[in-house]
Parts: sequence; C-alpha cells; structure tokens
Amino acid sequence: MKIKSLLIANRGEIAIRIIRTARKMGIRSYVIKTIKEPNAWYLEEADEIIDFSESFDDNLPEFLDIDRIISSAKEHKVEAIHPGYGFLAENPDFARRCEEERIIFIGPSHDAIYRMGHKTIAKELARKHNVPLLGGSPGSVANAEEARKIAHKIGYPIILKAAAGGGGRGMRVVEKEKDIERMFTLATNEAEKAFNNPDVFLERFVREPRHIEFQILGDQHGNLVHLGERECSIQRKHQKLLEESPSPALDKKLRKKMGDAAIDIAKSVDYYSAGTVEFLLDEDNSFSFMEMNTRIQVEHPVTEMVTGIDLIEQMILIAEGKKLAFTQEDIKLNGWAIEWRINAEDVQSGFSPSLGTIEKISWPENEHIRVDTGVRDGSVITPYYDSMIAKLIVHAETREKALQQSSMAIRKFWIKGTKTTLAFCRAVLQNSNFRKGKFNTSFISKELKLTYHAEPDEAMLAAFFATYDYARGVQQFEEKPLQLEKSKVIAPWVLKKRLR
Amino acid sequence: MAREAKNKQTIKLIALSTTNKAYEFKKPLEKIIKYQGKPVDIRLHEDPNGFSYIVWKNKKYMLDVIEKNQNRYTIMINSVWHSFTVETPISLKRRRFLEEQGDSSSSVVIEAPMPGKIIDILVEEGSEIKEGEPIIILEAMKMQNEITSHVTGVVKSVEVKKNDLVMKDDVLIEIQKT
Repeated sequence: MKIKSLLIANRGEIAIRIIRTARKMGIRSYVIKTIKEPNAWYLEEADEIIDFSESFDDNLPEFLDIDRIISSAKEHKVEAIHPGYGFLAENPDFARRCEEERIIFIGPSHDAIYRMGHKTIAKELARKHNVPLLGGSPGSVANAEEARKIAHKIGYPIILKAAAGGGGRGMRVVEKEKDIERMFTLATNEAEKAFNNPDVFLERFVREPRHIEFQILGDQHGNLVHLGERECSIQRKHQKLLEESPSPALDKKLRKKMGDAAIDIAKSVDYYSAGTVEFLLDEDNSFSFMEMNTRIQVEHPVTEMVTGIDLIEQMILIAEGKKLAFTQEDIKLNGWAIEWRINAEDVQSGFSPSLGTIEKISWPENEHIRVDTGVRDGSVITPYYDSMIAKLIVHAETREKALQQSSMAIRKFWIKGTKTTLAFCRAVLQNSNFRKGKFNTSFISKELKLTYHAEPDEAMLAAFFATYDYARGVQQFEEKPLQLEKSKVIAPWVLKKRLR
Repeated sequence: MAREAKNKQTIKLIALSTTNKAYEFKKPLEKIIKYQGKPVDIRLHEDPNGFSYIVWKNKKYMLDVIEKNQNRYTIMINSVWHSFTVETPISLKRRRFLEEQGDSSSSVVIEAPMPGKIIDILVEEGSEIKEGEPIIILEAMKMQNEITSHVTGVVKSVEVKKNDLVMKDDVLIEIQKT
C-alpha cells in the first residue's frame, strides 16, 4: 500500500529531515507541538500540527507518551508513524502498539527491536551466527560481587554497560578492582534512570579500538544489503562528535568481511527497515560485534552522501511493503563524506551545555555542503532536549578534499548567541594524525592536547574588542556634549554595511 | 579611571586574560590603534545579517560578545572564547599589588562544571580527600558525572544537599589544602 500521511513522533532537525522526504513522496506530514518548544521551526515545516501544549504531564515527556501519540494518530486518521531517533525509536512496546492499532510503524518489527535492544540477547544471537564477540558476562550481572568475580577472570580493564542501553549512558570503564563497586553502582543507577532497567553486563574493554558501524537496509521480503561503513571513532564519553564514510581504516576486503557479518546479525532477527550494526575494530583488523541500533541514526547523512540513497525514503518504501530496488552489487561508495556535529556546548569547559538563544546562524553554501538543522535565527536551545544545533555534512571526491572543504565551511559557519563545538571541530582539523586518518576512540583523551583551537592572533583580537568596547562605554558615560565630534572620532568604526 | 579616559590622546587600556597575559592597546577608539606600542590596522565590520566581524591582515574573524559585566568580558572569535578584565595602567598596578599581598589561600572551592542536579555527595565535613577522588555525583543532560577534587585536603564545608539543582560555577564544596 502507498502511505499517504505520517506522524513524526520527534522534533528538531530529524523531524524536518523526515518532512522533506515525505513532501518529496507526496505524503502529508503531522508533527507534535509541545509547551517546551512552541515556536520551533519543525512545526512550520510540517503540513499539520497536533497540539500537545495545552495539557501535559510533567512526568511523562510528550515524545514518550505512547497512548497519547497513538490516539492522536488515530484521531487524525494518520496512516503511519516515523519515530526518528531517540525517544520511542527503539521501544518495542511502541512498535507493537502501532501494529495492534493498525498504524504502520516506519521501522523494524517490534520483535527485532526487542531482541537487539536487549544487549545480552543480541550477543547470544551474534554468538550463534559466528560473529566475533568480546569476552565478558554471558548475561546481566546480578551485583558488584559477581562483577568483581567475572572481571577478575577476564582481566582489567572491563566495561560495564546497560543491558537496555545505548548512546553512552549507563556505561562505565573500570580500570582497577578497587573501583568496581562504585562503578557498578554508578552504572546501574544511570541505567535505571535512563532506560527504566538497572541491568548491566560486563565486557572486556578494548582500550584503543576504532568504532566502525555498518548501515543496513532490508525489506520485508528477506532482502538485505549494507551501504558501507561509518567511521565513528571520534567520541567523547561515548558521544560521537563527527562521523565519516567510508573509514580510513577499511579496505575492500575488510569492508566485505565486516559487511557480511553485519548482514548476518540483521538476518538473525529477520530485520527489515534501516538499521546499524556497530563493531569495535582492533589495530590488527580483528573486529567484534557491539550492538545493533534498530533506528535511523543521527549520522545517516554521510551514508546518504556517498551512496546517493535517501534512507528515510527507503524506510518508508520498506514500510509500504515494497522490495528493495537494488542489490549489494548496485551499491557504490562514491567519494568521501564527513559529518561535523555542531552542539551548543562549551568545549573550553568540559563540554558543558551552553543554553541560550541562537541569535543568528549562517553557513556557506556550495555543492559539497549539506546542513541538517532544526534551528534558525531566534531559536532557543532548551534544557529539555539534546544540545545539537546542526549537522554540517561535507562531501567531496577524496578525504583530503573533504577536509579542505570542512576547514572552509567551519570557518564560515557563523553562530551568534551561544558557545558551540565548532571550536572543537577546528582542533580536530588541526591535528596531523586526524588528517592522516590515523586515530581511534582514544583520540580526544590522548591525541588532542586542547579540545579547541585558536589561531595565534585571535586572543589579541578578542582583547582588542574588549578594550574597544570598554573605551566606548566610558566615552558614552562621560556625556560629551559634542555629538558630532564624537561620531567623527569613531568614524573608522562606523560599521560598514556589506551587501550580499 | 574616568579622568584618564577623558584625555583621549593618552588613553591606554590593558585587557588582562585569565592566564594573566596583558594585551595593551593605546587609543582603541581611534583610527590608528597601538598594540604593545606598535600601530596596527584592525577593522570592525557588521554584515547586513547582524553578524559582527573583525578584518585583520585580510582575514575575517567572526566576533560575538558572550559576557560583559563592568570590566569583565568574554569575547568569542571564530567560535573560541577568551575572557579578560579591562584595566587601566593604574588599576592594573593596584590589582597586581593586591594579588601579591593577598593570602596565598590554602583553601580552594570546587565549583559545578555544568548546571545539573546533585545525585550524591560522597564526602562530609572533615573528610580527608586525595587529589582525583570523586566528591559529588552531578547529573546533567541525563548523564551522571563524577566531580573529582583537584587538590588533596580536608573538606571544610559542603555547600549543597542531595537533589539540589545547581548552576554552572556554583560552589559545591570548600577544601582546606594540606
């Protein structure tokens, strides 16, 4: 069947991203308005708004309210729901409810979400299909004492991970035995809080691996392909900061081997829709399965740029029951794409959130540059949601050219009103090992001396403006009677208007 | 200060960075500015979209004022911020003098590195702590963060309670260095 209307159970840039493809396909889009962001841009982009801002439950965020989302969809006779990422995207109960209520869930089956979402089940499936795994606990660990025993056996360092987890929450690396009790408590508390499930499991911790993930697409007729890998090793506290496709670490042979393993994992749960299989890649090119994300990912645009395939469109077509229109042989990786995440964070003080209003935002435009964003001039960065402002995606023939374009685009990406991770992007681009493609997940902690980069004269220019502004303030304070003379004095500073 | 500024011909201001680096500008409002005694050509512009930028040696530098409070400034240039206090030669002298006189304080405060909620306090008044040891669990952006002590000493006072909401830079704990 052809989907004619869809509700996006999400906000921000991904809501706008889905609206764009829906419009292209002639599908009417519905979004949810919340009291937390009543003037957000995504609301204007959609065809219809469902208003949740009149009444709301403080303890149940709007985008997690399954009953309300389902009943609104039915009330408006919406045929399908796209969950985006985060929120309900990987909630098997939500996918099942959609199915029961005869609403098309644009994503995988609730059974696939459940089995891949439960990390210990997912690991068991991988083991059955001979996909390599890290050593660790067979299932969840009951208490700190059990964790201590297993850790003792496999050796430190180990990592504790939330069984229901993802996105870096509920994860703790334990270096020494004396820390295990404290870390166990931290991990279970965080897991409970984030996923309503305190279960954690334990794995051998590979100290300096690369994080490589494969994009999977499957239809409801058993056809599965991979769309190549994404290099996601530049992370801080398990939060990705930039991604590229392809990875400098993979050649054709390794890509095929890992891609095949990724497809095996997907096959084990009869996967359909878009999904991502994550691996750790060691220096010796051995890899192990980490987890499968059963949703569209934040970093999906780099795959779209190198394959030319619109992943949201594919998700919708697959949900309609269509067969994939291409086979593995048809997939060609063309050029190099890098995504820079621009978050409202202060990288000069521990990446702390930098809330506020985006007074102005602008970026350069050319055929190499794509920007996915949910903000525009005047948008507010609220504490209720993640800190992402925009994703700058650069695509060129080679990695070197993509880096050149990135330097230019980052320099000309202007945001007024908040501190951003652009300062971090500058530091990464300066690093010679990054430029050479030689890096792994320890890059930020070991390789980057500073998490920001300023050119030598910039501090001087900032100092100049401070003295200039101060002097101007003093001058105004002094009530000089001769207005004319004053404007003459500052004549060189009469702001020059530049026409675009 | 006011008297000095009145005489535009001699005005000299110093932006003192947080790392104590002094940037001295003479006549910052005039056409010919002197930086560390030498004339420099720094130009300030605003584009029609409301962005301000500096042109220096034929390059553009995007400019934003993040914070301005009396003589304290945080200025962002190309997305990196720099903090200064603006001083006159006299106020700078006074400041340096006071710094030398001031107690080489043996107690330090641990501040919240980000806004968030206090989940747990791992020490109490009188606790002995070592550098690097965790003292507080702060939840921010759905992550639990361990706040560690950067000094070794004895906890002098605990300024927060469990479940308190704190802002960035709020004082959490005061430690007497040993």
